[in-house]
Amino acid sequence: MAAVPLVLFAQTATHHPNPIRSWATLPNPDFSGVWFIEEYHRNLLPNEDPPLLPAALELFKKVQYESAHHDPDVAIDPTERCIPPGIPRTELQPFPWELVQARDRIVQIFEYQSLVRQIFTDGRGHPSDLEPTYMGHSTGKFEGNTLVIDTVGFNDKTWLDPMGLPHSDAMHVIERMRRVDHDTLENTYTIDDPKTYAKPWTATKTFKLHSDWSIKEYVCTENNTVK
Amino acid sequence: MMKRVFFAVVLIGGIAALRPISAHHSSSSYDMEHPVNVKGVVKNMEWTNPHVFIFLDVKDDSGAVEEWRVEGNSPNMLTRVGWRKELINPGETLQVNGAPAKNGSKVMRLISLTLASGQKLDGQGFK
Repeated sequence: MAAVPLVLFAQTATHHPNPIRSWATLPNPDFSGVWFIEEYHRNLLPNEDPPLLPAALELFKKVQYESAHHDPDVAIDPTERCIPPGIPRTELQPFPWELVQARDRIVQIFEYQSLVRQIFTDGRGHPSDLEPTYMGHSTGKFEGNTLVIDTVGFNDKTWLDPMGLPHSDAMHVIERMRRVDHDTLENTYTIDDPKTYAKPWTATKTFKLHSDWSIKEYVCTENNTVK
Repeated sequence: MMKRVFFAVVLIGGIAALRPISAHHSSSSYDMEHPVNVKGVVKNMEWTNPHVFIFLDVKDDSGAVEEWRVEGNSPNMLTRVGWRKELINPGETLQVNGAPAKNGSKVMRLISLTLASGQKLDGQGFK
């Protein structure tokens, strides 16, 4: 009987030669865990002013006006109708998300709207025949301690932030995610959308690890009073 | 010029951007700069997604009762800061602090509330 645990241990050791390693010393950085925006703001807080092209600026101003004058029960913001917030906004919502690292992909499980995002890290590229989607198609690769995520294939039905920053179906988002300390994840977003912005621009957000949280069910349509 | 216009728009339309508040019903339709305190009796609570709703009977200065709809964050997020649905029941008196709707309807975005026991609860769920 006493040999059974040893056998189990040996099998575990074969499959996971050194499972007890800190996040800082893994071959690829380990970002797994439940993360939550450190400080929630209604705007994306860009490092510089988003260089909106004239038509996009007009659209943004229209959204600002409508948002300030509308009935709270009439939707202006797409998420009010339970439309997925897209990238980067889904990460920035005041709801936690869990990052799970597998051999060939990284998976984000968002509590907000129970969305799931796959970031393929097996070297594949983006498909040439992408159908536009709310969350886009993401690939990732590690550069030292930084995970670089490349996402394309968006539709134009989401906002970049709750303020209503627009984007088009030509948007290309590059994220540079790194763990600045055990409890802090930093993500720098580069928004490259030549139909909406005169040049690419960046914004940085930080997230805190919540080891005692788990992702829960969230059903946006359950009792949504917005028309 | 574009820079100036952008900031003007942000300042006019988004002073509330500086204040953390949950997003589902667009919080820009609530006056975050002028939160109000309201005391009332719980008529009903809907412990549902996407947001928890508390319906309060509130007496105005003339003694007339008007119903307020108080909107907090999701049950998940509120639970993480100490809420339990059993804490709020019909007939109990609550003091709520929140941002009223800009269009004047008796709807508010909850910032915090105080139970009859004196226990204070955060209404946004992420403090």
